[in-house]
Amino acid sequence: MSGSNAWSRSREKMRLFPELFAQCAGEAATYGKCVAASTTGRQELKKDMCAKEFEALKTCFTAAAKKKAK
Amino acid sequence: MSSGVCRRVLRAAGSWPAASSSASRSWITSPGCRLRCEPRRGMSASGGKGTMNVFNREMKKRQKNWAASLQDGDQYDYLRDEVGSRVADRVYDITRTFPLALDIGGGKSHIAEHISKDVVERLFLTDVSEKALKQTRRGEIPTHHVLADEEFLPFKENTFDLVVSSLSLHWINDLPGALKQINQVLKPDGVFIGAMVGGETLYELRCSLQLAEIEREGGFSPHVSPYTAVTDLGNLLGRAGFTMLTVDIDEVQVQYPGIIEVMTDLQGMGESNCAWNRRSLLHRDAILAAAAIYKEMYGNEDGSIPATFEILYMIGWKPHESQAKPAKRGSASVSFGDLSKISQPTNTNKS
Repeated sequence: MSGSNAWSRSREKMRLFPELFAQCAGEAATYGKCVAASTTGRQELKKDMCAKEFEALKTCFTAAAKKKAK
Repeated sequence: MSSGVCRRVLRAAGSWPAASSSASRSWITSPGCRLRCEPRRGMSASGGKGTMNVFNREMKKRQKNWAASLQDGDQYDYLRDEVGSRVADRVYDITRTFPLALDIGGGKSHIAEHISKDVVERLFLTDVSEKALKQTRRGEIPTHHVLADEEFLPFKENTFDLVVSSLSLHWINDLPGALKQINQVLKPDGVFIGAMVGGETLYELRCSLQLAEIEREGGFSPHVSPYTAVTDLGNLLGRAGFTMLTVDIDEVQVQYPGIIEVMTDLQGMGESNCAWNRRSLLHRDAILAAAAIYKEMYGNEDGSIPATFEILYMIGWKPHESQAKPAKRGSASVSFGDLSKISQPTNTNKS
């Protein structure tokens, strides 16, 4: 469709995601492991169970996004 | 990234009841999983009247129109092309010429381009999206385009010799009713060959998103839509009046660089979720979390991630007296009790 709509705008922005995400591979793996661990053991996954790991991932991601924007 | 980024990105195509069987094997006990209370597609088979209303058909039409209007729309056709060719294969398996065929939800005509005009002489192609119909690929079969909803077929009874459908029936609300209509428009001894996604399709995406939302927000909403289980398909076809059923399942695994590519491609296929109970917003934190979980739990060695599509193929015939029937009761000349004796080879007396 010509012109921009919500779908095409969001797609534009999502295009950056893989690049930024790749810069935080370490943090992502740590967070992923934390969540994955809760699925195999006896404990149940709860809200904010991996909050610390996610914070690290988000900080890294936001930093990467800022760097990119400059 | 602004918050608008994550909005609407995920109307992913998908499934949910199926994922509970194997993908989530290990975490079926997590509290989130018990929250599942959405309608199951399978239920429509057992209910008296097919009054299920799971999907927003208007939304599906808009998604399909949007996808068809993409400049680079062809690059999202890989799955439809593959499944279309496999459906065409099944058409070739039947040694017949079909004077008049119908393709339901055919979109850009992914089946007919693999079929020669010696097999199908004339084709009607229906779709809900007028934009997809306009982009129909030119095959060698003379084709009439009809803008029609799969749920309401505008054809007379006993019209078609063959009805095909590829990757469109999984968005139908009243699947038993739709199959019944297909049966009606077929001539006696006509055949229906269909393919739809089902089973555990996209279980990786479903589970990643669920885990991410549980961890981030304390609960989850379905982003991947409900699917028909393969075990229900036989009953559905039988109830619709088909005989000599064949149902089989094919697993197609596509490797993607990351979760965003999975979702972008699904959107490009027009396969975004359109269930009524979907949440239109996927928080950006949840996307980030899901990307990490997807990669960690399902990722390949080389950093890519797989997405599984389970394609259910079904073949059913409209009854006709010429078709093979079970023998009459009491016409057996050998007792089943003697079966064990028959199967024994003659050289058993060597010891």
